[in-house]
Amino acid sequence: MLKVENIEKYYGSANNVTKALDRISFDVEDGEFIAIMGASGSGKTTLLNCISTIDTVSAGKILLDGVDISELSSKELARFRRERLGFVFQDFNLLDTLTIEENIGLALSLTYTNPGSVQKQVREAAQRLEITDILNKFPYQVSGGQKQRAACARAMVAGQSLILADEPTGALDSKASKNLLELFTRMNRGMGATILMVTHDAYSASYASRVLFLKDGRVFNELLRGNRARTDSYHEILNVLAMMGGDISDVI
Amino acid sequence: MTLSSLSMRNAKRQARDYLVYFVTIIITAALIYAFNGLVFSQEMRVLSKMMSTMPLIIVLASLVVVCIISWLVQYTTNFMLSRRSRELGTYILIGLENKQVAKMFFQENLIVGGAALVPGVLLGNLVYQALRALVLALFGKAYHFSFVFSMPALGLTLAYFLLIYLLAQRKSRKRIRSMKIYDLIYFERRNEEAAIQNGVRRKRAFIVSIVLGIAGTVFIMAGDLAIGIIGAGMIIAFLYGFFASFASGVPAYFEKHAEKKYGGQTLLVFRTLSAKLAAMGVLMATISLLFTATIISEGTGLIFRFIFENRYEQNACFDLMISTQNPQAEYFRDTVDFIEERIPSECSWEYNICLRDSAEDSRILSKYIKEEMWIPEFYSSDAVMAFSDYAALREILGYPAVTLEPGTYLLQCQKYIASALKDWNQPIPVGDTVLEFGGIQTEIFAQYLWNVNGGEYILVVPDEIAETCVVDHRMYSIKTPEHMGDDFYEEVKTRFRDKIEGYKDDEGVLFYIRSEDEKEMASSIATIVFPLYYLALVLTMTAATILTIQQLSETERYRRQFSLLHKLGMGKTDMQNALRKQFTIYYAMPVLPSLIISGAFILNLANLTDPGSLYGAGGPLMVLAVTLALFFLIYAIYIVMAYTTMKRNVLP
Repeated sequence: MLKVENIEKYYGSANNVTKALDRISFDVEDGEFIAIMGASGSGKTTLLNCISTIDTVSAGKILLDGVDISELSSKELARFRRERLGFVFQDFNLLDTLTIEENIGLALSLTYTNPGSVQKQVREAAQRLEITDILNKFPYQVSGGQKQRAACARAMVAGQSLILADEPTGALDSKASKNLLELFTRMNRGMGATILMVTHDAYSASYASRVLFLKDGRVFNELLRGNRARTDSYHEILNVLAMMGGDISDVI
Repeated sequence: MTLSSLSMRNAKRQARDYLVYFVTIIITAALIYAFNGLVFSQEMRVLSKMMSTMPLIIVLASLVVVCIISWLVQYTTNFMLSRRSRELGTYILIGLENKQVAKMFFQENLIVGGAALVPGVLLGNLVYQALRALVLALFGKAYHFSFVFSMPALGLTLAYFLLIYLLAQRKSRKRIRSMKIYDLIYFERRNEEAAIQNGVRRKRAFIVSIVLGIAGTVFIMAGDLAIGIIGAGMIIAFLYGFFASFASGVPAYFEKHAEKKYGGQTLLVFRTLSAKLAAMGVLMATISLLFTATIISEGTGLIFRFIFENRYEQNACFDLMISTQNPQAEYFRDTVDFIEERIPSECSWEYNICLRDSAEDSRILSKYIKEEMWIPEFYSSDAVMAFSDYAALREILGYPAVTLEPGTYLLQCQKYIASALKDWNQPIPVGDTVLEFGGIQTEIFAQYLWNVNGGEYILVVPDEIAETCVVDHRMYSIKTPEHMGDDFYEEVKTRFRDKIEGYKDDEGVLFYIRSEDEKEMASSIATIVFPLYYLALVLTMTAATILTIQQLSETERYRRQFSLLHKLGMGKTDMQNALRKQFTIYYAMPVLPSLIISGAFILNLANLTDPGSLYGAGGPLMVLAVTLALFFLIYAIYIVMAYTTMKRNVLP
């Protein structure tokens, strides 16, 4: 579904260049749940921003279903984002003037869905994510975990094929984090969502079917979970992190 | 770092963050200074005796301006206070006393006020020159640029500004002095609540307010002072009730009609606005009230201007007119002889104005006209004049010559009456003869005053027929090719006054000097219309500034919102449309009720004036159109300024 080919990203001026991404390549298959791990400054968020078309690459190609996204016009990019991508952010990014239902419905109104069917689709998505009882509440009236579920509903309500999550558990307590990750697993396995999640938390990454490790803008290592138990995967991730020289703060 | 230098640094930042407010204060300072310049100007005072009342009226208007601007300053400082409460709380946290923080805050605002005063006074000098030029043009005097820096005007401006800031700071000082650290630091956590939460109450309040609004407008239009005051009270109640219930009612409407909110950008626009309106209901009503006052001030000013100008123009064709029902009286004969000796003979004419019929209430034409419009009736019958007199007067006035066929009459009337007479073609009996209709002339012919060339209209008949009619009054009119000079007319006036002493009042005497009438018109405009515009301008700026400050304070929230929408795939055109819609509704909300109320008021006021005083280019609808154009011109500047700033800062 997604093909990242030798992408590079530079920041700064001619005299002071920072290389954020250095010839990164990988593929994402339909229905995969991939975690991208790395220390602060390793290039995780830059990579996610490039895939999500919020940022552009300096070199290389990103192909989604065979389409090179770097060749799309700004109008096509906007359309691409609203129809194909779903976003889940660390700080939820829900609009505080809209109710939870409206925040989810926003994604549909952006795709010019028939206004009459929006409420029905929102309610169906909410039912799947078990947030029906908070639909009429405003974001400030619900918990962090509920906000993140609402963000997940928004990310998939319009039938988006790829969900990009940037540190989705970053602002959640451990119980809410666990619930969210289980929800991600359900969305991935039960609803067929393809998920690309950036995290620096080994526990979160252990829920993924594949983990890519970034260091200094490069893919340092790759772990496939296969049929192993989540706890085994977790330990293996910790081992890779230790090998990468990441200190304890990157792990917890 | 001392408190003063901290105040200075904060004041700089404040001026940058609240540029619109700062610019409004500068313009206000300029206006106050410019009008103070008129108050102390000797040049203005000698223009006419009537101009001596102008300083008093300007001072009164300026005091109203002081109150309005102090409200603006108070509102803005309170707004800043809430935005900066965490910062002020931190000062107290690190050991400053509340008193010191209050003092610092006061100093900051005083610095901003002082900083606005300097460019304001400089700009005020230019505005003063513009006002001077306008007043001189009204009096028909030549304007020459002469830079005048008036110390008394500056002193009074300083005094007004001190008053503005002292009035404005009282509340915020008290507030800071009594605030606790916790309140200051956690001020932002206070949630803004909708004014009326309950659905049934909201619906009732909305219906009651609409009823009050309609009833209030009808009461104001009734034309009775006591009823009008009750009407004004009802309108105030309407505005507050309307905004309190409307803002909280919109979300309720969309809750019931969910399908409507998901179309286009409706969801974003209505939610952002209803959140803002719910928190600003009272403020919106106050702003709407200010706009109503603004449009009424401007409209009233314009109506007065047209009335004064029109009244003057309708008679200004002659330089001097004297009329009496006692032509042998010394005051008439002596004055006429005195003038005749001093002006060329072809510039003057003495003639009779007669009545068509001696019977009481024998008006034919005015009865016909009255079927279509009300006109004043000066005489018991239709006024008549001889054709030779009419032709001579036309020649004096430089109008093209007209002919009168035997057995016919001409109708010379004011322009506004011609529309009521467009189908008129009836014969009229004059004395013993019936004359056929021979046509209508509508040039300006001094028909607007009592006892001049007929009231509103006159029948021009063959000389031999006019001779058979009863004379109502004798007229003497002059028009000189060049102005004879004020001294000449002053002398004529003094002579006339001396001679008329001892005569009875019922001789229908009229003594008219055009140059005096022009001065009266100019003085009336300068003393009544200018202050009304002054008030209207300040009111518009104050209300628009508050709306703009409120709107721009949301920049950060809007920026976050559009950044998210960009990520979610909203196109740039859609984002621009959403922002434009939000702006349009936000700025239109407080104006719409004002437009309805003030529009009705202005049209009614215009229709209450004497017929003919607002006619053609100055008709009621035109008055309303010009008023609204003036209002929206100023308002649009603020809207465009806010929109471009917002667009630049919030769209990704």
